[in-house]
Amino acid sequence: MDTLGRIRQLAAKEFSINPEGLDPKAPLDTLGIDSLSFIEFMFKVEDEFGVSVSDEELKTIKTLADLERHVAAALAAAGKA
Amino acid sequence: MVSPLGATLEEFHRSLAAGRSGIRRLAPELAARSGVQVGATLDWNPAPYLKEGEAANLDRATQFALGAAAQAIAASGLPMTDRERIGVSWGTGMGGANTLEASYQQTYGRDDWRMRPLTVVMSMSNAAGSNVAVRHGLRGPFANYSTACSSSAMALGEAMRAIAAGRADAMVAGGAEALLTPGVLAAWQALRTLAPADAGDASASCKPFDKRRAGLVLGEGAAAFVLEEESAARARGARIYGLLTGYGNSCDAVHMSRPDRDGQVRAMKQALAEAQLTPRDIGYINAHGTATAVGDVVEAEAINAVFGETAREVRVSSTKSLHGHLLGGSGALEFAAVLLALEGVLPPTGFLEQPDPACALRHVAREAERISPPRAVMSNSFAFGGSNVVLLAERA
Repeated sequence: MDTLGRIRQLAAKEFSINPEGLDPKAPLDTLGIDSLSFIEFMFKVEDEFGVSVSDEELKTIKTLADLERHVAAALAAAGKA
Repeated sequence: MVSPLGATLEEFHRSLAAGRSGIRRLAPELAARSGVQVGATLDWNPAPYLKEGEAANLDRATQFALGAAAQAIAASGLPMTDRERIGVSWGTGMGGANTLEASYQQTYGRDDWRMRPLTVVMSMSNAAGSNVAVRHGLRGPFANYSTACSSSAMALGEAMRAIAAGRADAMVAGGAEALLTPGVLAAWQALRTLAPADAGDASASCKPFDKRRAGLVLGEGAAAFVLEEESAARARGARIYGLLTGYGNSCDAVHMSRPDRDGQVRAMKQALAEAQLTPRDIGYINAHGTATAVGDVVEAEAINAVFGETAREVRVSSTKSLHGHLLGGSGALEFAAVLLALEGVLPPTGFLEQPDPACALRHVAREAERISPPRAVMSNSFAFGGSNVVLLAERA
């Protein structure tokens, strides 16, 4: 599964949402994901991919697509992708 | 009701009436690490109350609280129209013990200091009550009481006060506890107050008021109630399970763990005075009765001091022999037990075969006793720290 697919699957589990219903470009708050829930979710994403997203980067993440870009970049930097 | 004796109030009452014990041997790994052999554990199924991903982000105690509160609110039929006039009054001894202990295992145990972000809001003492408020949008008064074993009895009493003071029309009141973790069990074991497994029958390990008693057995669960003015409940035709009419609250101010007869006497007398009842009106007492050597004797003396001659007649039992000691959750759970007694079914002190003469009480031993429904019943909750709470319930 590609990075976005894995993120979507994680998000679907974390927030009890159908993965098909998750629009990667939708703002997270419209998906019912508040800031605290998102920080907890990020923790699990970091565990899943073995990467770290900085606080500064975190502030720029508004959608699941943004998140995928950061995770992909972190994977590339770590030579994992 | 989320208890070792059933997942609904009806199941809980059926188990009590049958004198069935929910105490059992702990899982081998848990027993090996903590040194504790038995507990009143429950097989928790969060599915009716929580969405699939939610449980992972809520402490076990909070999950129990959400289950119990959802049941109570549904049973009350309370119209949830003005939620600013509905509050939450909750009790817990150790709050999110599971979350906190898991985080300690990770940090100190594995030297892994990358903590999950929800650690604080999952483990804080008010997490259970606050989640009940959030889940149901209850924007009235909120309080969380943490006075060890009297926590949720106090939550009920103070909820009654909040309504009487006009601060709320209704209160969701209860308590939850989930601390059957290796660390908490080991800490209790160190106090030398926990009963070992009964050699013949693990479910019979807790024997309050019995000469053979060897200490308490810890349990887990939650119980919740919806309280409102009697007139309001009657006006809307609600099913009234009982009337909470007396609340006594005193502090021994003597010792952290040794109970004090006079403090208990004061709390019982306060509750009777508030309800304008005499000892003769009380048909049953659900004792604190933890099955410790000292505690049971002091409580028996306190009951005798308050009830005098009437103590020969008033039936007493400790249902902790069956559901274990839920600590902060026990007051609310046992208030649910006295509702059964109001119907004339007195739950027994399980396994009480050799009453200790030093605990001179009219015991309901081993099997439930049926009497004509009493006018009023009493529930005692006495805590470490010297906090004494007594609740009185009357038939509607």
